[in-house]
Amino acid sequence: MPIDRPTFSESWYRVGALCPRLRSSVQVFRQHFRGQMWHVLQDPGSNQFFRLNDTGYHFVGLLDGKKTVAEVWNICNGQLGDSAPTQGEVIALLGQLYTSNLLQADIPPDAQGLFRRYKQRVGREVRGYLTNLLFIRIPLIDPDRFLERWVGIFGSVFSMIGMLLWFAIMFTGAYFLLGHTSELASQSVGILQTSNLPFLAISFWIVKIVHEFGHGFACKKFGLQAGGGEVHVMGIMFLIFMPLPYVDASSAWAFRSKWHRVVVGGAGMICELVIAAVAAIVWANVGPGMTQVIAYNCMFIASVTTLMFNANPLLRYDGYYILSDILEIPNFAQRSKNYLYYLVKKYIWSVRNPRNPANTPGEKTWFVFYGIASTIYRMFILVVILMFLSDRLPEELKFIAIIAAAVSGVAWLCTPIFKFVKYLATSGELARVRGRAVASTLLTVTSIIMVIGVMPWRDRVRAEGVVEPLGLEVVYSRTDGFVDNFLPSGTPVSAGDILLNAMPPASDPQARAAFVKKLNAELTASLRILKAEYDKIKRQEDWALAEGEHGVVASRIEEAKAKAEQIARIEEEITNLTLRAPINGIWISPDVDRLKGNFLQKGQQIGLVADHSPNNLIVRAVASQEIGAIFYELRNEKNHKIPLEIRILGRPNPAFGGHISKILDSAQDVLPSPALGYAVGGSVVTRQDDRQGLMAAEGFFEIHVTPQAMVDDKPIMLLPGQRVVVQFDLPEKPLIAQWWRSLLQLLQKKQ
Amino acid sequence: MNDIASTTWRMLAQRTGGRELPRGLDAAWDTAAGMAQKLLPRTARFLRQAETVLGYDKEFSKLTEAKLREQAGEYHDMFRLGRNSAADLLRAFALVREIAFRQIGLKAYKVQVAGALAIYAGSIVEMATGEGKTLSATMPATVAGWCGKGCHVITVNDYLAKRDAEEMGPIYRFCGLRVQAIDQESTPPERREAYNSDITYCTNKEVTADYLRDRLAMGRLTGLSSALLAKIAEGDQSGTDRIVQRDLNYAIIDEADSVLIDEGVTPLIISGEAPNAEQVQAFQEGAEIAAKMKRDLHYKINHKYREVNMTKEGKAFAAKLTEPLGGIWAGQRRSEEMLVQALTAREMFLLDKQYVIQEDQVVIVDDFTGRLMPDREWRDGLHQAVSAKEKVEIKPPKDTYARMSFQRFFRMYNRISGMTGTAVEASGEFWQFYHTPVVIVPTNKPCIRKQLPTRIYPTQDEKWQGVIDEITKAHEKGQPILVGTRSVHDSERISLMLNELEFEHEVLNAVRHAEEAQIVAQAGQEGRITVATNMAGRGTDIKLGRGVAELGGLYVMATDRQESGRIDRQLAGRSGRMGDPGMVRTFVSLQDELPRRYATKTAEFLQKRHPPREGKPRNIANPMTRRMFNKAQKRAEHTAFKQRRAVLKTDHWLDEYLGFAGLER
Repeated sequence: MPIDRPTFSESWYRVGALCPRLRSSVQVFRQHFRGQMWHVLQDPGSNQFFRLNDTGYHFVGLLDGKKTVAEVWNICNGQLGDSAPTQGEVIALLGQLYTSNLLQADIPPDAQGLFRRYKQRVGREVRGYLTNLLFIRIPLIDPDRFLERWVGIFGSVFSMIGMLLWFAIMFTGAYFLLGHTSELASQSVGILQTSNLPFLAISFWIVKIVHEFGHGFACKKFGLQAGGGEVHVMGIMFLIFMPLPYVDASSAWAFRSKWHRVVVGGAGMICELVIAAVAAIVWANVGPGMTQVIAYNCMFIASVTTLMFNANPLLRYDGYYILSDILEIPNFAQRSKNYLYYLVKKYIWSVRNPRNPANTPGEKTWFVFYGIASTIYRMFILVVILMFLSDRLPEELKFIAIIAAAVSGVAWLCTPIFKFVKYLATSGELARVRGRAVASTLLTVTSIIMVIGVMPWRDRVRAEGVVEPLGLEVVYSRTDGFVDNFLPSGTPVSAGDILLNAMPPASDPQARAAFVKKLNAELTASLRILKAEYDKIKRQEDWALAEGEHGVVASRIEEAKAKAEQIARIEEEITNLTLRAPINGIWISPDVDRLKGNFLQKGQQIGLVADHSPNNLIVRAVASQEIGAIFYELRNEKNHKIPLEIRILGRPNPAFGGHISKILDSAQDVLPSPALGYAVGGSVVTRQDDRQGLMAAEGFFEIHVTPQAMVDDKPIMLLPGQRVVVQFDLPEKPLIAQWWRSLLQLLQKKQ
Repeated sequence: MNDIASTTWRMLAQRTGGRELPRGLDAAWDTAAGMAQKLLPRTARFLRQAETVLGYDKEFSKLTEAKLREQAGEYHDMFRLGRNSAADLLRAFALVREIAFRQIGLKAYKVQVAGALAIYAGSIVEMATGEGKTLSATMPATVAGWCGKGCHVITVNDYLAKRDAEEMGPIYRFCGLRVQAIDQESTPPERREAYNSDITYCTNKEVTADYLRDRLAMGRLTGLSSALLAKIAEGDQSGTDRIVQRDLNYAIIDEADSVLIDEGVTPLIISGEAPNAEQVQAFQEGAEIAAKMKRDLHYKINHKYREVNMTKEGKAFAAKLTEPLGGIWAGQRRSEEMLVQALTAREMFLLDKQYVIQEDQVVIVDDFTGRLMPDREWRDGLHQAVSAKEKVEIKPPKDTYARMSFQRFFRMYNRISGMTGTAVEASGEFWQFYHTPVVIVPTNKPCIRKQLPTRIYPTQDEKWQGVIDEITKAHEKGQPILVGTRSVHDSERISLMLNELEFEHEVLNAVRHAEEAQIVAQAGQEGRITVATNMAGRGTDIKLGRGVAELGGLYVMATDRQESGRIDRQLAGRSGRMGDPGMVRTFVSLQDELPRRYATKTAEFLQKRHPPREGKPRNIANPMTRRMFNKAQKRAEHTAFKQRRAVLKTDHWLDEYLGFAGLER
């Protein structure tokens, strides 16, 4: 029947003649949500809630145990007309009330059914625990009497005076903090250090217990004002295996005033902020010591964790409930999800008359926004938690992380997918549009698969490196002397150009020159004589005659040789006083201008001449093991064909091209330059015991990249010694393959 | 204080609701098990066991009658005390087989014994028509009777229940068992007596109705304990004295597919009058307004889902007309609902197709059987809407007191088994809903029925002409013909055409089963033409007249494809029984309901390609058109299955959520 809400139901006969009524213990609270009246039914015994809209309550309210359901239905039809509940709706409503144990019928209760339902509920709870290993709750005590006794004192925190006091404390705390901002920052470094962890844990527990009692007292306090507000369960919750206290203040849901509900939701944070403020005052006013450390920790936890977790409405903590109350949208998260489904059903699948979970127009935007944001955030936080677990858990407990991942995978991925497929396949709602629904789903899934699983996406990896000139000559002083004049550092030179002139160490350079001159003259003269004698000897064939003279000649030759050597040495000394460029390039000697007049020792390094011409530069990039592995996989491809871009660190533009010239086969551990080390801002972690910062903590692969010499006919602007980032464009790969690789590497690394 | 039979107390103590439907993974496992169990070689096993039973023949055939009786007595005790072994069962079957031979002169063949064994094992047995299902059932029924917990043999109509009880009665009585049949006329004491017999023959309707009446009698008693208390407190005034049924232990269901599947979700309703003059008037007004509305302007028809949708114009039009009326018409939702109903009655429910007018009353024609259903009413005011349209007297909708579908009822038995000519198509459903496997028992003699190729015509007129041509051809030879039609309307149409040709023929669409069965039984005589709606005379053998076998046997002409292949097969099974020759041919047209509803687009496409034309009927059967019909039928079967499953689920939901309303009824 193409009727939205058919009036009659064929099962009506089963309820029509009954005279059920609400259990006498059920309490009813009126609430307004966005101008609509709702009635919250609460069974204090079981702490079960049921929200009824006005017409629903109109019906249920008329059930007094004397009138039959059929009579009441007729009355409702007369009074409410079209908006009266239909027979089907009445049956569903009564069924729900009955299964929530809120309804009492005139027929003896079906004890078997009661037990079955109880068993089902327990089963559901156990299943809930198992699928939610990361958030286990263990109820321990009933704090109601305790809260009742003390609510008179502590409850007054949540009053007008309390609020004024609260603001006063907040301002005071803020005042002291503002005065100590620099210390605040400096101390934050130590917060997560091992030595601080016990303090952190203690502070954490103190703060959280106060937080929970805040909820409890607030709930109790407003409960005393408006009825209800019982708090019967307090216990320990294992949040990611971290024990935390919790309290069940859900009876606050029945409060009529939304501000009361908001305050109960925010009570924990209100109390925590008080602690934070007090701790801030203490911290600012005591000297260093244990008190200060604890105060700091308290301050940290009570403010940072509160604001990050409790106040975050995307998680199901206090912030969520506060937001839901402020917006007057009960069951916000569930309905957001339903609303998104509704949109899909209505606009994509054209389901006829899908049930719209939005009661008022204002809710819609909230639903859309929250539905999308919270889903993404949940996914994100799950991944973060799992990473955290696999990172921090000791080796022997790793399996917990794996189990948690598997269970949350099932609970968050497999179950919804299975349910969705089942819904697609069997839902009666989709009977007519199943083709369309399945097709659009398949289309979406296929396009997602295409995008992440098939379509190639650029796959980039980065490595840091230093620019080094290919040709480089270090210039050493070749003799002792005093620096006379020099070429300033940075001057381009060609081979043979004078870089530096020095003066010999002797005090009088002229005397020395004269001495050389004299020596020279002597040498020249003796050489001339020697030569003549030598010639004469040579001409005499009679060696015997010459025999006598021979020894003389020989000794004189020796003498001349020694003299020549002396001259040569001095000449060399003089030549060596002038240092010349060994190659074409640029003269680099940062300290050269401080050398003037200074004494140079022979063998001292003065500077270097680097061939900085762009076609003679090389980038020595340091690739992590992971990147190295990729290159290893690609070894069959032509490495130098891999496109890459070189950028100067900290300057994204311009980018230079280049090609891989060489990949050093084995892993290295000495960095090409300390500039790449972690200690001085590089990306490679160096060994702590290495002062020079050259020894990498983990082996790496060195990749030599030859930059492209010219860009647009202009030489590139790379300079030796610069730190650069090389980005390799690996062969395009589907995203899923890239993610898989990262995941594998990550897992392997964490092992 | 009256005594109450212990069986009644047992009934009160019986767990209700039937086996719970498995959920989630359990359901998947169950379906898988259902698929796997099909692979079991059950038929071979039962045939082997039947061989053993036949082996005892020599031993028992020698015994004197007194000795047989003594043996029967021994087995009676043995089974009642539960001291039987597996071998005893086979011997007991052999004994019953011999007793049947002595008492009624029928000796079960091997296949019949195999069928009987399968029935006893809780299966649905597929046996071809005429293979002696009735005789097969005596063996498991006797043994179940011996067990002393009651055994219901369910038939599809009163006539069969009475006939079978009478024909097979001597066997049971010889075995020391009480056997009785229940029909519509039975009084409560008779019923109580019958149910307390060892073996009860009754129809599915009677047994379900008695169950419901018992539940009503029990009123607010929810079980044994409250009934005992009530009996003590109130004595004879407590409802317990009016209870007629015993606990539901074992049922052998004849035509199991029809009862459990085709009629499975048809609810049996016990209702009472609830006069409501205002509502009656509203129905009349609704019909008047609906008559003024124009199709495609004010409302649109969706054939696939058989529904009417009002357009915006229609709603505005209706709002204008209903404004001055008041009462029910005051609310927009209610008045639109009324109008849609009136329009549905106008457009979807056609005289002589879905209903006939008898004695100024709308009488429903059963979709499956083509039979008139004077006791049945459409629900939710549809019946009134149709009455208003026909301007006959409108009886206000009755108040339902109790209601139960056969599906739900038979699930409450401890054990059920069944027999039918066609089951294998529904084996999945039998397993899922009733956990009964399907066992196919081969025919005693091989079947030599000739399945002639289906003829497909573009239009209905051509189809009927084609049928008449074929009848003429076969009739000239003297071959007996059984024409199966889908509806009373169709059978009348064929009858009219046959009258024109002055062919003598019989038309069956009456409600008197006995007569119907006789006519059908005669359909195998030479030169006979019988026009019958599909299920008419089901369960009756058609024996061939002398010399007919040489003419090719009975020629069954199916003039439609049904929503389920099983029903097609049932009709076909009327011929070629027990090794007789026979012929079957199906005649369909593109304008038939099946393609129009379940292959809408293809049918439209083909109709465009073959526009209506005068002249000789065109047979357009080819692989494509044939596939279209097969596909449409598959789709229809699947839709029906899903609907039945949904009903089952809803029932379970109601049981769970309406626990406060007491026992289901």
